[in-house]
Amino acid sequence: MQHTIQHIINEKGTSKDAVIPILQAIQKYFNYLPEEALEIVCAHTKITPAEIVGVASFYSQFRFKPAGKHLVKVCVGTACHVKGADLVFDSLKRNLKLDADHDTDAEGIFTLEKVSCLGCCSLAPAVQIDNVTYGHVTPATSITILQDFTQRQTKGKEKIVVVGGEDVSQGEIRIGLGSCCVASGSEEIRLAVEDTIQNDSLKLNVKHVGCVGMCHQVPLIEVVEPNKPAKLYAKVKPGDVKQIVEKHFKPKGFFRKLKISFESMVENIQHDGRWDGVEKYSIDYREKHVAAFLGDQIPIATEHRGVINPSDMDEYLLRGGFTGLRNALKLKPEDIVESVISSGIRGRGGAGFPTGQKWKTVAAQQTTPKYVICNGDEGDPGAFMDRMLLESYPLRIIEGMLIAAYAVGATHGYFYIRAEYPLAVLRIREALATCLNKGYLGKNILNSGFDFEIRIKEGAGAFVCGEETALIASIEGKRGFPVLRPPFPAVKGLWEKPTLINNTETLAQIPWILTNGHAKFSIIGTTGSKGTKVFALAGKINRGGLIEVPMGISMRRIVEDIGGGVQDGKKLKAVQIGGPSGGCIPHFLADKPIDFESLDEVGAMMGSGGLVVLDETDCMVDIARYFLSFTQNESCGKCTFCRTGTRRMLDIMNKLCEGKAKESDLTELETLAGWTKKGSLCGLGKTAPNPILSTLRFFREEYEAHINGKCPTGKCKALVKYSVDDKCIGCTICAQQCPVDAIPFSPHKKHEIDTALCTKCDICRQACPVDAIRVG
Amino acid sequence: MIKLIINDIAIDVKEGSTLLDAATQLGLEIPTMCHNGELEHFTSCMLCLVKDGKTGKLLPSCSAKAFDGMEIITSDDEIREARKIALELLMSEHAGDCEAPCRVACPAFMDIPMMNRLIVAGQFQQALEVVMKDIALPAVLGRICPAPCEGACKRKPIDQAVSICLLKRFTADQANTYPAISNSIPSGHKVAIIGAGPAGLAAAFYLQTNGIQALVFESNPLPGGAMRYAIVNAELDKTVLDHEIDHIRSTGVQFNPDTKIDASAFTTIRNEYDAVVVATGNYSKSMDDWGMENNGKQIVVNKNTYQTSLDKVFAIGNANRSMQLAIRSAAQGKDVAISIKQMLTGKPVKGEERRFNSTLGKLMTEEHSEYMKEGSKDERQAPAGFSDKGFDAHMAQKEAARCLHCDCRKPNDCKLRLYSEQYDVSKKRFAYTGRKPVKKIFQQDVIVYEPGKCIKCGICVRLTAKHQEKFGFTFIGRGFDVEIGVPFSQDLDVALGKTALLVADACPTGALCRLD
Repeated sequence: MQHTIQHIINEKGTSKDAVIPILQAIQKYFNYLPEEALEIVCAHTKITPAEIVGVASFYSQFRFKPAGKHLVKVCVGTACHVKGADLVFDSLKRNLKLDADHDTDAEGIFTLEKVSCLGCCSLAPAVQIDNVTYGHVTPATSITILQDFTQRQTKGKEKIVVVGGEDVSQGEIRIGLGSCCVASGSEEIRLAVEDTIQNDSLKLNVKHVGCVGMCHQVPLIEVVEPNKPAKLYAKVKPGDVKQIVEKHFKPKGFFRKLKISFESMVENIQHDGRWDGVEKYSIDYREKHVAAFLGDQIPIATEHRGVINPSDMDEYLLRGGFTGLRNALKLKPEDIVESVISSGIRGRGGAGFPTGQKWKTVAAQQTTPKYVICNGDEGDPGAFMDRMLLESYPLRIIEGMLIAAYAVGATHGYFYIRAEYPLAVLRIREALATCLNKGYLGKNILNSGFDFEIRIKEGAGAFVCGEETALIASIEGKRGFPVLRPPFPAVKGLWEKPTLINNTETLAQIPWILTNGHAKFSIIGTTGSKGTKVFALAGKINRGGLIEVPMGISMRRIVEDIGGGVQDGKKLKAVQIGGPSGGCIPHFLADKPIDFESLDEVGAMMGSGGLVVLDETDCMVDIARYFLSFTQNESCGKCTFCRTGTRRMLDIMNKLCEGKAKESDLTELETLAGWTKKGSLCGLGKTAPNPILSTLRFFREEYEAHINGKCPTGKCKALVKYSVDDKCIGCTICAQQCPVDAIPFSPHKKHEIDTALCTKCDICRQACPVDAIRVG
Repeated sequence: MIKLIINDIAIDVKEGSTLLDAATQLGLEIPTMCHNGELEHFTSCMLCLVKDGKTGKLLPSCSAKAFDGMEIITSDDEIREARKIALELLMSEHAGDCEAPCRVACPAFMDIPMMNRLIVAGQFQQALEVVMKDIALPAVLGRICPAPCEGACKRKPIDQAVSICLLKRFTADQANTYPAISNSIPSGHKVAIIGAGPAGLAAAFYLQTNGIQALVFESNPLPGGAMRYAIVNAELDKTVLDHEIDHIRSTGVQFNPDTKIDASAFTTIRNEYDAVVVATGNYSKSMDDWGMENNGKQIVVNKNTYQTSLDKVFAIGNANRSMQLAIRSAAQGKDVAISIKQMLTGKPVKGEERRFNSTLGKLMTEEHSEYMKEGSKDERQAPAGFSDKGFDAHMAQKEAARCLHCDCRKPNDCKLRLYSEQYDVSKKRFAYTGRKPVKKIFQQDVIVYEPGKCIKCGICVRLTAKHQEKFGFTFIGRGFDVEIGVPFSQDLDVALGKTALLVADACPTGALCRLD
C-alpha cells in the first residue's frame, strides 16, 4: 500500500489542493478509501488528518467501506423519479436481499446506490451497472438487468475492429456518442457498423458526432451518401445495422457481393427479424417529427449539432471554429467586454447575472494572476445541458474561455466538471491536448502575445459546489462550504485572486457572439433576456431531449410543438423548471413566455434549465417533497437555516405524504420555507424552498387533500392501497409476478391482494393484461 | 474610514470592519454563537442577522463587511423572529438536559445532582447547604417524601433510580449543626403566616433568612401541622421534626401557638403586617368571609406568585389545592417568599422564575451505556432495616456515585440556553422526528464531548487547526448529518493534546465541557 500511495502522491502532488485528486486516485485503485491509505497521505503531504477526513466525508463520491465488485446506480433524477425510479430501487434492493444497513449483497458482487442524475432523462427510469446503462427499467425487469449484466461479464470482451484505409470513401456513417446515445447502446451500434464495413469491405468513414439532442430517439445513426440527402435512422438496434448499411452501400467486387447476399439470405431465414425497426424508424417516416423537433430551435451553443465530431479540430476550424477568438484577439479587451455587455447575455447557470458586468468587474481588478473557471458542476437532477455541451462541443467551450480570459486579463483557467461526467472529462482532456498542440493554448496563443493555460478539476459529488464560492473552496481542496458574498469571486476568488466563473453554456455561446456580432445575438429573445437557452426536456413528454430555443418562447410551444405533446395522450399538469431551485409552471400559465423575469414572477427560476413535464397522474406534493429531499441531502450543513430548516421542512413533507400532517403543519411549512429563503447563507438554501412555495401557490388543494389523508393521484405510497376489481380474468400473472407473495395463486378466480404483505411495488398493475388492479 | 448608520446613529469604522465590529463599537449587543474573536468568521449559526435598511435583506453581521452609506438595523420584530426561528431549529436537534430530570421533577427544584456530587466528594455540609437552599425541612422530608425525583431519575430504566431521598436525609442527619443561611440584612418588613405546616414553616424560614421578619400563627399547641398530627411516629420520629422546627425558630421566626384566626383577626393581621401568607391547610367554610376569591374548596391563586384576590395576601399549600404532597407545600413556602420579597422591594411580582430548560426525554436503550460512563456500576444501596435507618457516610458516598450527571455542565455559560431564554424559544416547535442517540466521549479527567449538544459552529475545528494539533477536530459528513469528530477515530486524549481546555471553554454550548 505504501508504494501505491507514494506513486499517487508523486503524480498528484503534495500540496493541500491535491487532496481531492489524491482521494479519487486512491478510491479508483482500492474501490474505497482505506483509513491506512489516508494516514499515509497525511504522513507524506501537507494535508492534515483533519483536512483529509473532512474533505473525504464531505463529497458523496467517496466510500469508507469496500464496495461490491459492480456498482449498481439507480438514477433518481427528476425524470426517473416521475417514472417510478423509487419502485425500481426498492425492487433491486429486494432482489439483492439488502436491508437498511447494507448496500452490498452478501456475496460482495453488487453494491446498490442512488445517483442524483445519470443525465439519460429520455431513458427514464435508468439504471447503470458499471459502464452499462439500462433504460426504461421497471420493477419487474430489474432482476433481468442484473442477469443480463452477469451474462455480459462471462461473455468476454467484444472485439474491436479497425476501419478505414487509403481508398476513396464511399460515404459516411455518423453515430451519436453523447451519453444518452452511449447509454442506449450506441457503442454496440458502432461495433456492428464496423463489423459490417469490414465484412463487406466497404470504404466508409465512421464518424462519431456529439449529441443531436433527440435523446428520445436514441441510438441514432445517420447515413450520408455523396450528393444525396443524409438519412437518419432512429432507435436502431445492433441487428438492424447490417440492413441499413447495405441498403445504402453495395459491397465491392462481384463474388463478395454474391457471398454476402447468400449469407444475408440465410441469416434472414434464421432470424425472423427482417427489416424490423429499420423502415419503421427511417427518416422518411419520421421526417415531419424531426422537422417539428428542430423547427423552433436556434442552435448557438449547440451549433452544428449532430454533424461535428467533438474532438476533431480540423472540422471545427472548417466550420468556423476559433473565428470568435481570432476576432477577439484583434480587439482591445475592454471592447470585448463592451460587446458582451451589448449582447445582453446573462449567466446561464441559474440566477442570470449579466455576463458582461461580471467580466467588467474582473477586468477592472489590478491584482494578478486572474483566473477563469468554467462551471461544469451541473448537479440539478433532471438537467444535462452542460454534460452534453462539454461532451459535444469541447473546443467551442475552450474557445469561449480563451475569449473570456483575454477580455478580463486572466492567465489561468480551470474546468470544474462533475464527477458523474467521465465522458465530458475525457473529451475536454483530449480537446485541451489538441489545443495545446495547435497553438490555441499555452504561451503566445496565435502569435498574439496572449498566454493562457487550462487545467481540469473533477468534482467529487456535491451539488453545493455549483455555488461559486463552494466551487472555489473545492478547487482549493477544501470542503465545499460556501462563504458570504461580497467579496465576490470577481474581486477575491480562487486563491483570493480575481476570478471569473461562468457557466458552461454561457461560455459555449460566447464564440458565436464574437463571430456573428453582439447585435445578432441581442435580436433573439426578449427585452430582459437575450439569446437562446438550452433546456433538457424530459418527463412525461413524447419527444424528450436537448433543445436550444430563443428566450421568450412559451412553455406550450416547447411541450406541444417541439416535444410532441404529453405522453400517452394525458393532460399537462405542470412543467417543473429549474429543478430543486425552481418551481412549477402550472398548465394554465403555459402560454407565458419563458425568460428570467417571467419565471421570477411565477416563483420559478431558470436554474440550469431542466424542464420536466408532469401530467395529470403526477402528485405535486410528492414532486415538491422529491426536490426538497434532494436539496436537504445536498445541504453542506454550514448554516442553521439550510442544515436544519430544510430538514424540518422535509419532516413536514414526509408527514404530508404519509397522511399524518395537520393544518397547522402547512402554516409551519410556509414559515420555515420563508425563513430558510431569507436566512440561508448561499443560493442552495435560499432557493431550496422554491419547489414547495410554488406548488403551495398553484396546487394548494393537493396539500389540503393530503392533510385529509388522500393523495389525489395515488402516488404517495402510504396513502394508497392496491386491490383487484371485477375486470380480473383470473389469469394468475399478477400472482406469479408478485415478489412478496401477497397475491394468492387462484386460477380462474378473481385475485385478491393481501394488503398486509403488499409493498406497493406496482409490478402487478404493470403486469395485469386487463387493467384490473386498482390503486387508491 | 467607513461611514454608516446603525439604528439611526452615525458611526465611523475602520476599513474592513464587519457589521458586528461596528455594532460592538456602538456598544450594541448582537447574539452570536459561532463567532470567536480569535478566529476568522464562519457564518454558521445565523443568530447575528441584522437588517440592511435600504434593501430589507438580512445579513450575518459577523461576516458582512461594513460599507459606506449603509443603514443597518440590529433589532426589530423581523430580526427577532429570524433569531428565534434559528434558535428553535437548533433546539430541534439539541439532545441534552439543561437541568437534570430529577431536579425538574422535584417540586422544590432542588439541585439534586449537585448534592450528589458533593456527597461523593465528602463535602457533606456543603451538600446540606445545597439542599437547604430549596428545602427547609430536609431531615423530615428525607423521611416522608414519596420522592417524585426518583421516578424521573435517568438511572431508573437502566437498573434502579439513585436513592435521592435517603441521600437528602443523610445530609441532614449527619450534620451536627445546620448551615447558617442568611442572605440579607433585616429589611424591617414583617409578614404573618397563618399555619405552621410544611408550607407555613418553609415560608417562614425563607422569609426570615431573606431579612423579612416572619411570625407564624398556629391553632395547635405545637407547630408542624399534618407532619405532627397526621403522620404516625413509625413514619416520622417527632424528635426529628422538633429538631428542624428548632432550627427554623433559631433563624428568628416567631411562633404564636394556640391562636385561632377568624375573619376579624384576619383583617387585623392584614392591617398590621406587610403581607399575609395563608397556609392553613385545607380550606374550610369558616374562611368564606375572609374575603378571598374561592370556589368553595380552595382559594384561587395565581399559579406562579400565589397571590390571592386580596392585596398583599398569598395562599400556599393545601389552602390552594387539597391533598398536596408535603414537599409541594414546602416548595410553595419557598416560592412565596420570593414573591413577597419581590413585592416588598417594589419589583414586579413574578414568583420564582425558572430558566429555559432543554429536556432530553426518555433514554433509548443504546444510550444506557453512554450514561453509565458517568456513574458507578454499583447497585442501589439499601440501609439495613430500611425505613427507619438512613445511610452511613460510606454508603451515602457509594450511592451518590451512582448519579449519572444528566445535568449540563454549562448551565450558566451556555449561549444556546441564554438566547433561548431571551428569545422565548419553544424547544419542541420543530422537533418533529426523533433525536440522534446521545453519546458521551471523554478525555480522561479533562473534558467531555457530547455531540448531541453540538451546533456545528466549528469553533473547535478551527481552534485545533489554528493551534496545529496533529489530529484535532474535523467536520465529518455533511448536511444535517454532519458531526464534529476526531479524524481516524483517534481518542480525544491524542486528538486534543494541547487544546482540550481551550476548546471546552470556547464551545458556545455544553457540547464540550471541562469535567468538574
